[in-house]
Amino acid sequence: MSFSIKNISYQYSKNAKAVLKDVSFEIQPAQVTAIVGPSGCGKTTLINILSGVIPDLMPMGVYKGSIDVGTDVNVSVVSQSPENQLFGYGVEDAISFGIENMGMDSGKIAERVEYVLDLLNIQHLRRRSVATLSGGQRQAVCIASVLAMHPDILIMDEPVSSLDPEGKRMVQSILDQLRETGQTTVIVDNNLDWFSGIVDHVVGLADGRVVFNGTKEEFFKNFEIQKTLGVTIPQEVEIYRRLAENIEDLPLFDTVEGAKRVLGRFLPAATRSPVPETPRDDSGDVLEAKGICKTFQDGFHALMDVSAGFEPGKVISIIGQNGSGKTTFVKHLNGLYRPTEGTVRYKGIETAGKSVAQISRDIILVFQNPEHMLFEESVYKELTFCARAQGVKFSEEKALDVLKRYGLLEEKEELPLNLSMGRKHLLTILSVLFSSAEVVILDEPTLGMDLNIKSQLEQIIRYLAKKGKTVILISHEIPLVFGVSDRILVLNNGVKLAYSSTKSMAERDDLFKKINISLPPVVLLSKYFGFPEICCDVDSFVQEAAGRISRTLS
Amino acid sequence: MNDFLQYVELDSFLHRLDPRTKFFFFIVISVLTSFVMSGVSLLFLFLVFLVIWVSSHIGKYIAVLAAKVKVLLLFIFLLWLVLGAFTRNDGPVIFRSTFPLFGGTYLFSLEWFDLYKGAVFDMRVFLMISVFYTVILSTNFSQIISGLRSWKVPYSVAFGVGLVFQIIPMIIKEFSTIMEAQSSRGLEVEKCGAFAKMKNYVIVSLPLLFRVLGKGHSISLAMHYYKLNFKVKRSSYKVIRPTWRDLAFTAVTVFSTVVAIVLQMMFYIKLS
Repeated sequence: MSFSIKNISYQYSKNAKAVLKDVSFEIQPAQVTAIVGPSGCGKTTLINILSGVIPDLMPMGVYKGSIDVGTDVNVSVVSQSPENQLFGYGVEDAISFGIENMGMDSGKIAERVEYVLDLLNIQHLRRRSVATLSGGQRQAVCIASVLAMHPDILIMDEPVSSLDPEGKRMVQSILDQLRETGQTTVIVDNNLDWFSGIVDHVVGLADGRVVFNGTKEEFFKNFEIQKTLGVTIPQEVEIYRRLAENIEDLPLFDTVEGAKRVLGRFLPAATRSPVPETPRDDSGDVLEAKGICKTFQDGFHALMDVSAGFEPGKVISIIGQNGSGKTTFVKHLNGLYRPTEGTVRYKGIETAGKSVAQISRDIILVFQNPEHMLFEESVYKELTFCARAQGVKFSEEKALDVLKRYGLLEEKEELPLNLSMGRKHLLTILSVLFSSAEVVILDEPTLGMDLNIKSQLEQIIRYLAKKGKTVILISHEIPLVFGVSDRILVLNNGVKLAYSSTKSMAERDDLFKKINISLPPVVLLSKYFGFPEICCDVDSFVQEAAGRISRTLS
Repeated sequence: MNDFLQYVELDSFLHRLDPRTKFFFFIVISVLTSFVMSGVSLLFLFLVFLVIWVSSHIGKYIAVLAAKVKVLLLFIFLLWLVLGAFTRNDGPVIFRSTFPLFGGTYLFSLEWFDLYKGAVFDMRVFLMISVFYTVILSTNFSQIISGLRSWKVPYSVAFGVGLVFQIIPMIIKEFSTIMEAQSSRGLEVEKCGAFAKMKNYVIVSLPLLFRVLGKGHSISLAMHYYKLNFKVKRSSYKVIRPTWRDLAFTAVTVFSTVVAIVLQMMFYIKLS
């Protein structure tokens, strides 16, 4: 039996704007349904309705329509922040919490705990405390705690948004497992790239209405709707989309293997010789970290002898799994942490002895969660905060122009905390434009951003570099990293593994295998097809591939 | 140290105790320190604590606590010293003099007894705080909830208490992240005057408030997802059972209490 959502409309109060408008679709049992749409389209409200939060916990709104899911249907939710959802100190405590609430006897509880630990392959975590788990492990425990309640529908709200590639892979394999067992799952996430392999059905929401309701294949072939919804699609689909504009009846592919198969009909696989790395001239570095070691009070060695120089006008990305020392390293650059050993020099002068606020005039760090940064009462004031804090002159005209260019002008008097997560993040990054800093560090800047905001972010990064500023980017979004960076620094367990140009980094399959991070599809495919130069973004790949294909066809 | 005011995972005698045994210890010592005023008796209790801390490897965390409360202890000590300095007491005198003020004559009399009195009040306060902290360091919030439930405390209350101890570390972490984020974008919290520093701390409190409210909202949603209903009878996966360790620790608690009371009767010096 399918679960029908029929003509749902919702307003948070009588006079408020409708958040959902006549929403209807079906959730098929034993299938994975993706609900996608831009920030503020009503996804969260829909989750609240499906899970019963509306009207049970929030009875004040105006609710119309019905959910035909049968009686005694159990709907459970896995949220994007497991630390706010897990109750219990130990893993077993957290998993059993929900079933204890159902009043089950202890023997049955033990059976269910064993079942989910086996199902998700996390028996080894059972004696651990939740606080010591990695992000992916914590999300796995969260999923286990919900599955133990035997939900008829499992809803996952952006479950990997704060996870590193390893954590993402763990959740992916859990979802594969659940699909095998016939679990009905709804994933609410505008990043379709990480779970496209398991999705059966896609529902697209825009401005509170269902604007798409179909299969994954139909969605991937509908370029217009992808653009409207701002969905991050797999890079392979982006390549398909661009090539399909020129090649008639190109079969759809959404994996690297699929792309090799389909494009292999036009492009023969070839070998290529790696391009040697050209040595870097470090004489013009604006910022230099030398021999940074950090040992915390509890004896944990977070960084071991990490050195790196940063040139002006360049974008440098730092990659590695969570816990590899990326954030710890950049916190040394802006003075938040003082190194146990080593020095940080800005324009040849040591930063030791300066306060973080003083250093921020030269080196500014934007944190990964914008809610830690926003506190002004209006968007306009927030935009100009850095300039005012650092005593930098700015014109109102320029500030308004920036707000207009990035679609925030209408909200200039709005409380920043009322913006969607992606726009909050964009605002904190935009405020850096008014700072005097020559080095801008962005820690996971894509958190909560839809595709449209991500492309604005790319523009900002390129603009800053063009103005001669040094941009240091920490991101788990490897396609973005390869697309915008000049150089990449790889950290693993506090040790620098490599620091070289993006092109030469793309040659290092061994290194990426070691750190358990996949190279972007464009890199893998350009290597597979023997392109003379490795492509790091979709544009260059499509250009090269399209040229070769047209030569083959003619 | 980032683990202040929270459970520390260790495999010690104290950690392995039934939470009820530790609650009993907490109640007995709290009551005892609220009426014991003999320096000898308090010193004895301090030695007992010292043995407990060292044997359960939490000494360094207690040292951190002592460092955090040192200003409070100094304030208490000085307060009693100042109050005592205007009263004539028996015993050896350190400095005694009279001085005229506003047409009257006042006595300033600092005796060894004033120092003793300050030390006794410091010791009482420190023992009261550290008995609470000893239990917190060695009992995680799931154990706190189980222990309270087995004492027939309503689940809503037990869950609330446990939740507080789950949330405290989160709030501490949030506060420090917000401070870091704000100073990273130019808010001066290090090299500025006391007034500016205070003003900047107030600025930081706004995002903290929103974050805490946000967390509260997420937690209430999660309670709904897990079908938590305080009106419905709940079952329990883990059952807590006392062992010989609990018996031994309870015996130590009772014995120490008796000795402390005896010492109080033998060596009590009236403080006022």
